[in-house]
Amino acid sequence: MKFLYSDTQDYVDPEYDFISDRNAPGRRRYWDDVYAHELMTPAPYDGLLVSMSAVRQAAGVANSKVRYSTAEEQRMLRDGVRKFLRYGGPKFKDAMVLGDCGAFAYADSKTPAYPPQEVVDFYLDAGFSHGISPDHIIFDCLTDNPPARDVAPGVVERFDITLSNAEEFLRLTEAEGYPFEPLGAVQGWSPKSMADAAVRLEKMGYRYLAIGGLVPLKVDVIKHVLHALRNAIKPETKIHLLGFAKADSIHQFTNFGITSFDSTSPLIRAFKDAKANYYMESPEGGLDYYAAIRIPQAIENPRLMQGIKRGIFSAEDLQRREEKALVALRNFDGGNGKMKAALEAVMDYQRFLTLGEGHPIEKYEKDLSKMRALVERTLDDAPWKRCRCSVCSKAGVEVIIFRSSNRNKRRGFHNLGVYHKHVQRTLEKKR
Amino acid sequence: MSVYRFKAIRAAQAPEHDVFTFAATPEQIWGFAEIERVGREDNGNLRGFQRHQIASHIKEIRDYLRRDDALLPNALIVAFIGGVKVKDRGDGVVDVEIKAGDVKPGFVVDGQQRLSALSGVTKPGFQVFVSALVCKDYNELRQQFVLVNNTRPLPKTLIYELLPTVEGLPERFTARKFAARIVDRLNFTRGSSLRGEIRQHTNPKGVLSDTAMQKLVMNSASDGAIREFIKDGDFENRAYDFVNAFFGAVESVFGSEWIGMSPKTSRLRHGAGIVAMGFVMEFLYSSEGATTRPEFERNLELLKKYTAWTSGQWRLAPDDERPWNGIQNTPSDIDLLTNYLVRSMKRALRQPRQVANS
Repeated sequence: MKFLYSDTQDYVDPEYDFISDRNAPGRRRYWDDVYAHELMTPAPYDGLLVSMSAVRQAAGVANSKVRYSTAEEQRMLRDGVRKFLRYGGPKFKDAMVLGDCGAFAYADSKTPAYPPQEVVDFYLDAGFSHGISPDHIIFDCLTDNPPARDVAPGVVERFDITLSNAEEFLRLTEAEGYPFEPLGAVQGWSPKSMADAAVRLEKMGYRYLAIGGLVPLKVDVIKHVLHALRNAIKPETKIHLLGFAKADSIHQFTNFGITSFDSTSPLIRAFKDAKANYYMESPEGGLDYYAAIRIPQAIENPRLMQGIKRGIFSAEDLQRREEKALVALRNFDGGNGKMKAALEAVMDYQRFLTLGEGHPIEKYEKDLSKMRALVERTLDDAPWKRCRCSVCSKAGVEVIIFRSSNRNKRRGFHNLGVYHKHVQRTLEKKR
Repeated sequence: MSVYRFKAIRAAQAPEHDVFTFAATPEQIWGFAEIERVGREDNGNLRGFQRHQIASHIKEIRDYLRRDDALLPNALIVAFIGGVKVKDRGDGVVDVEIKAGDVKPGFVVDGQQRLSALSGVTKPGFQVFVSALVCKDYNELRQQFVLVNNTRPLPKTLIYELLPTVEGLPERFTARKFAARIVDRLNFTRGSSLRGEIRQHTNPKGVLSDTAMQKLVMNSASDGAIREFIKDGDFENRAYDFVNAFFGAVESVFGSEWIGMSPKTSRLRHGAGIVAMGFVMEFLYSSEGATTRPEFERNLELLKKYTAWTSGQWRLAPDDERPWNGIQNTPSDIDLLTNYLVRSMKRALRQPRQVANS
């Protein structure tokens, strides 16, 4: 089972100076930065997925979803996606580079943002190894399998659009001589309708299916879907799970003949999750999670800035406390300071983050004591000291600090690495 | 209670007010003055006046101040309410004595970002000028704050035009500076295909947008042909020749849609058209190796039938058809037009080859 990471221009400055919190002098974005597969050995994933909606503007794709500049998009099309992602050469030549349309970005529109011809051209120009047909997302998954006449008309329309696009997409890919391996996108409102769609895609000629719309679903429902699918399609037909958010339950999905799946969650959780920010292999086999230690930049953090603008915090005062927290944490890490001192300094600064929320005082006390327990656990176990990955051995204690993109993304890279190993171990155990 | 003494120079201005200037270290300034940021009292009354710190601005100043040759000739402005004694020494020289206790008598009226930046740099003995005025009360102080800060920033076009001649600027200007230099040369070099065509502060008769032309050069320098030239010693001349050749070809191929037209009458002369055509230039360089005017001309001829610069319709996508002037100078329209032009160019190049091969 291959683990693919869905790229959203995630790179870090390898020479970032953590002490004065600045990029290396003269650093050029992207050109001097490194992707996770460049920073870490071994690479923390088996392939990359790139969504067209992150690259190209279109009606219905909100500007905020497009992360590439037009200059970058055009360079990617001229040079190819592998060269753009610096994911070529003998080391990565067999790694998958999968293209999809990023149906989430245009989920609110009546039709997909890109017609099949444009999608085929895009995959072809960029030189993807695999490409998924343009689908239109269906959010419902009704496990009682209602017939088409009982579901909302918009839903059936999306089902039909996805299938007719897949047909057209396959025809165009064939006419180009299969420059990439086509995957047929499966969308449906129930396990049964998804299985029906899968069978029809097989009949069209697809040998590899991409199952969409799984992101909001619970583990049980996803299993339900996979049972229905596997019972309906040929055993040799390959399956990709699109945006598989239940990545930590991967051990429950080893019996469905899944060839590949993609997830961003190990990276995203490094800076979006409330407490599970740092992954660690658990001695018992699963994963352990730690809260990162929040020491945001006093005059950049939006919550603190709001307090400063309202005049309830003083910028100079916050900056002093911020500095103290950083110094205490680094001292503790270097063996020159007590854990207790680091905890107090971090919590002293943490108070303002919690205060900035503007909740009533009882809630404030409760939040603060919860946070204290999380920070204490992280400091007590000091997991970053045990980790031997390329990120942690170089960044040290900085990797656990929740502060600015260079630390947060490094922590995300570390998580990808831990997770990738976890998937590999899980599969070995099953064999 | 601390006492600070300075020798200062007084300027004769309003008879009721003391205005004078002296040199002090940042530590001294922090000793007698505060940055009082605006906020509200519990009862809703307004307090203070300064805006918040801007991290990126402070970083930029700090980067500069770290240099050994850094100078800061412009003075911080501090207004005092009491706490200051001035003694005349004749010839406009005064002795100043400032007393500061728990409550500091001075307020930074201008230069707070500079002062914040200075506190993060270790430069023992580094002094800055302080221009001080003594106010009778807080309201007058706030009035001074508004008056001092109510200035107009320089127009962007003038800054961009000055850029090529200025050294030692912050990082964010360097890409723009290179682009500004190329655009300058295109606009003012004898024999340039764009001579006098670009609107700049000193060339108000120009028609093409200077920022669009700069964008084209910046795109090429970050992700295109000019980036490759940078490996060469003579890249600036090559960059100029390259862009010049391309627009020479645009002029001769598109003729009446280019010559004498304005952004309003031809989308080719419009910011969106210029930036999008920049990517056609890049594509022709990377796929056809085009660098000279005849090479660009030959290829652009094939693109003609797909364009609708001054009339007709753009068929950007099966369900996106627009009148010739329905393209605006927005990132999304530029992206759409770019994709359309580059794809059309590609298709046009494929067709004659297919004919030749059959």
